[in-house]
Amino acid sequence: MESKIGAGMTLTQEAAQRRVADIISAIPVVLTEYRCPLCARVFPGYSGLREHYEAEHAGAIAPIVVMLMLNGKGCEVLIEPHWTLKRTLQFRLGLTGTKHMCDKGVCGSCTVIMDGRPVLACQILTAECEGRDIQTIEGIAADPKWKPLIDAYCRWDAMQCGYCTTGFLVTAKALLDRNPNPTERECREALAGNICICGTYPRHSQAIIEAAAAMSGGGVDG
Amino acid sequence: MADIAGVNGQREQFRVVGQRNLPGKLSYTIASGVAQFGNDFVLPDMLHAKFLRSPYANARVVSVDTERARALPGVADIVTWLDEDIVRISSHGESFGPGTRPWIDNIADQEGAEVAVIVVAEDEDTCDRALEMLDVQWEVLPHIVDLHRGRQPDAYVIRPQVREAPTFGAPGMGGPPNPPKRGNVAYSNMISGDAEAGFDAASHIIEYDLYTPAFAAHLPNPSGSVAWWFDDPYHPEGGKSLHIEGAVRERMAIAMMYGLPPEKTVQEGLFMGGKYCDWGLRKSQEITPLLARRTGRPVRCVNTREDMFDFIMKQRYVHMKVGFNEEGLITAVEDDSIADGGVWGSSSFGNVGDLTQGPYNTLKCKNVTQRMEIVDSNRGKMYVSGQHCPFNWDSITMAIHLIAEKLGRDPIDIARLNLHGPNSQDDIDPVPSFEACVEAGKKLMGWQWHRAGAKRLPDGRLHGASFRYQMCPRHSFSSYNCKLELRNGVVHMPTQGPLFGVFAVECNAMVVAEELGLSYDDIQIDFDYRETFTPVGGGSDGTTASAWVMKECANILKLRILEAAIEYANDPPVPGFGHGFGPPPPPPGPFRGLAPDDLDIVEGRVVLKSDPSQGVPFKQATPKNLFATYSGRPPLALWVTGQMGKQLDTMNTAYCEVAVDEETGEVEILRFGVVADPGKVMRPISLESQIDQVMFFSQGCQLLEDFVYDEKTGVKLNNNMIDYKKPGMMDVPRVDREFLETRAGNAAYGSNGISHSLANTHLAIIAIYNAIGVWVDPPATPDKVLSALNKDMPF
Repeated sequence: MESKIGAGMTLTQEAAQRRVADIISAIPVVLTEYRCPLCARVFPGYSGLREHYEAEHAGAIAPIVVMLMLNGKGCEVLIEPHWTLKRTLQFRLGLTGTKHMCDKGVCGSCTVIMDGRPVLACQILTAECEGRDIQTIEGIAADPKWKPLIDAYCRWDAMQCGYCTTGFLVTAKALLDRNPNPTERECREALAGNICICGTYPRHSQAIIEAAAAMSGGGVDG
Repeated sequence: MADIAGVNGQREQFRVVGQRNLPGKLSYTIASGVAQFGNDFVLPDMLHAKFLRSPYANARVVSVDTERARALPGVADIVTWLDEDIVRISSHGESFGPGTRPWIDNIADQEGAEVAVIVVAEDEDTCDRALEMLDVQWEVLPHIVDLHRGRQPDAYVIRPQVREAPTFGAPGMGGPPNPPKRGNVAYSNMISGDAEAGFDAASHIIEYDLYTPAFAAHLPNPSGSVAWWFDDPYHPEGGKSLHIEGAVRERMAIAMMYGLPPEKTVQEGLFMGGKYCDWGLRKSQEITPLLARRTGRPVRCVNTREDMFDFIMKQRYVHMKVGFNEEGLITAVEDDSIADGGVWGSSSFGNVGDLTQGPYNTLKCKNVTQRMEIVDSNRGKMYVSGQHCPFNWDSITMAIHLIAEKLGRDPIDIARLNLHGPNSQDDIDPVPSFEACVEAGKKLMGWQWHRAGAKRLPDGRLHGASFRYQMCPRHSFSSYNCKLELRNGVVHMPTQGPLFGVFAVECNAMVVAEELGLSYDDIQIDFDYRETFTPVGGGSDGTTASAWVMKECANILKLRILEAAIEYANDPPVPGFGHGFGPPPPPPGPFRGLAPDDLDIVEGRVVLKSDPSQGVPFKQATPKNLFATYSGRPPLALWVTGQMGKQLDTMNTAYCEVAVDEETGEVEILRFGVVADPGKVMRPISLESQIDQVMFFSQGCQLLEDFVYDEKTGVKLNNNMIDYKKPGMMDVPRVDREFLETRAGNAAYGSNGISHSLANTHLAIIAIYNAIGVWVDPPATPDKVLSALNKDMPF
């Protein structure tokens, strides 16, 4: 049973999986327009934007084009040099599963996986990410391999208000990448950098351990 | 009060209610990263807005010159408090604040307050640059962030224009009217019985101080909104319609603010974030429609994390005087409190009126005097409820433990002695729910009370333990309007949601499934912002009360389904006629000539009660679409009818064990224990999560969290997540939980929920006292523990 609900959201795992796949595929590989962040004028090519800056915004630092490798897909993105990866994911690429909470590298809500390691997108400049392999929650959720982890999180209510959940999930995925059968203690240590105001902490270890068992062929108790 | 008024209130067999591991209806949306909160929305051509925020704790903007800022490339609009568009608007969100004040003006009554100017630009960086280019003339005023200073007769009066007492607690209950406000201080005095006589009758009198630090609400998602106006072909009259995201559940308040009918106000988002009794709209959630109208473009306005350090519990100092006899029976209580009144518009909930809310009412002792000073301050704002202010419950928890220590008796026995019976303060009978909770709690904890400082753990640290009881408050006075629909054989449950941190919709769906003989997955939830049903109303209390209403509605639908199945069997369509185009109608069930009482619904089929093997699925039983509606609430809970604690039904108990290292001052909470009687467990995992959450909240405010101000400037020093420490995964202790089901509540199946009744400010603090024999005010950081032990920090 599937239904579309407010703001394009869906209820089932399969529908959510399709939705994130759609979000990823909607990201253009090549930029076709270049918008001035200062005055909103749009140019068909990057050189036009550069010339516009020199003529109209002399002294201002012009945006740059960065090639990102996101969820296995290369894409050009126009950003200002000081933009963090978090900001770019939301405001340029529509990947809003990476959340903004503390903006100080404390809460873990903006966790992404970069070259196999969980990192905080609010603390990394997008310009530094060129050529790096980046996975966001959307890429993980779209990959059927990680369905057991998503399922386990949902079965165990490892979320309440849901805002920090994706940061935990990305960290959990990174843990399972390097340790397919973590102990409860290892789960807690891996997630020590993620903060949940709703106090869901005990649920995460339960979900990760259940997912690990399911992914290694073990069963799930009802 | 048992639920005897509702249908199936004392149902004995449950197939769905009580099941574990049923995913939340929106959980996949959340886990996959699809869920969008207000600050996530990004629209093409979207502008950004930011407020001028005060760098001073108390100040007035004398003048602003916006000319340079307006000339900055990328600035789209600047409005000030004097603009007609701003003067015309007013907030319609929930508020307990005193008096009326312009929506925004030139007064800043805390550091970071939105004041005087709003800038709209192409991006947030440009907003920041424009704000820096404003030429603002400030008149910096004296501030009050120290309540003791603020209550002095010669203190600077920070709000001379507001002379009203706080909303709750005035006038005095049973005593003389409260004195008029004086300086920064409003009064809430309450008198019950004769405290002087009670002290005269006491064998012992103890006096002690209790400090409750301020505690951050700390909404995970930064508050904000995105709004845009659009041509609505369905509602073209009256101009464009408004779409606003981020002010979840407050669509009507926004519509009223902008003079719009509901049908012209769209709000699809479902995700509020962790709004635990913090329902107040922030200005960033209210202003975007105005700015979008002025600029003709979508506008986003989102607070930063630093802007989001609002209170969910305000600072309070309590001096207690308690008299008791040789047995430990309390004979008199005096409570002299100094509470933070906060900034203008701050909620007074939980800071006044304790006598009307429960803690003292659970005692046999009727001689209680409470004198409270509520001090206006520039410390900050609490929006609406104060989830973590359990009405000063811990003043009595502390009394029980101090009496126990004085008399060398188990605090549980002291609590039992002082707790009145179920029916009144004169009732000496035991409260069954309390007795059951205590019996289970003792087993759960291996409870063996010892005197302060009397027990060491094998590793040499001192061991301490504490206990606390509470009644289960609940919100049965909340009414709900709900409906269910059988459409093409599927049961639909329409609701506006939202999702705000409890699994309320899911609990309701479980009840509907239970009553209709369906599985949880059979219930189709239709989330629609235009629907009226919103199962919000006080944590698990609201869940159980709304579930009662849904239970009634489900039974109405059930009867209609059975009647329709019989009608279809009695008058089936003639083969080949009467069904228009499409496939022929299905044959009816074997129900001809029967009555609804002859039928039942089992596993999605209408069946004969006499032979459940004979039946048909809904879709075959009736071709009709059927509706059921119900408006109302469950019978009022005893919390309401029993004068907030003067009668008692369901209770809960909490326990804490700590280890204190005398060398380092470090406190480790070894475990929390909770035995609660929610009446009936509806959705076990969400109930367990609520317990965990409230215990971790309590841990934070007792060991880690407080607001720190610079006395000289009144500026907050730790309103960020580095310096304001929340408990993390490695900090939180084990929480052992056990639930009793006395079915004594008023809501669905005798449930009542527990809401935030387990929130506490001193359970760990009392356990620390039991370990070291000295009081340490929260937050009990190592330096304070060592100071209490007269030791220096080891580094």
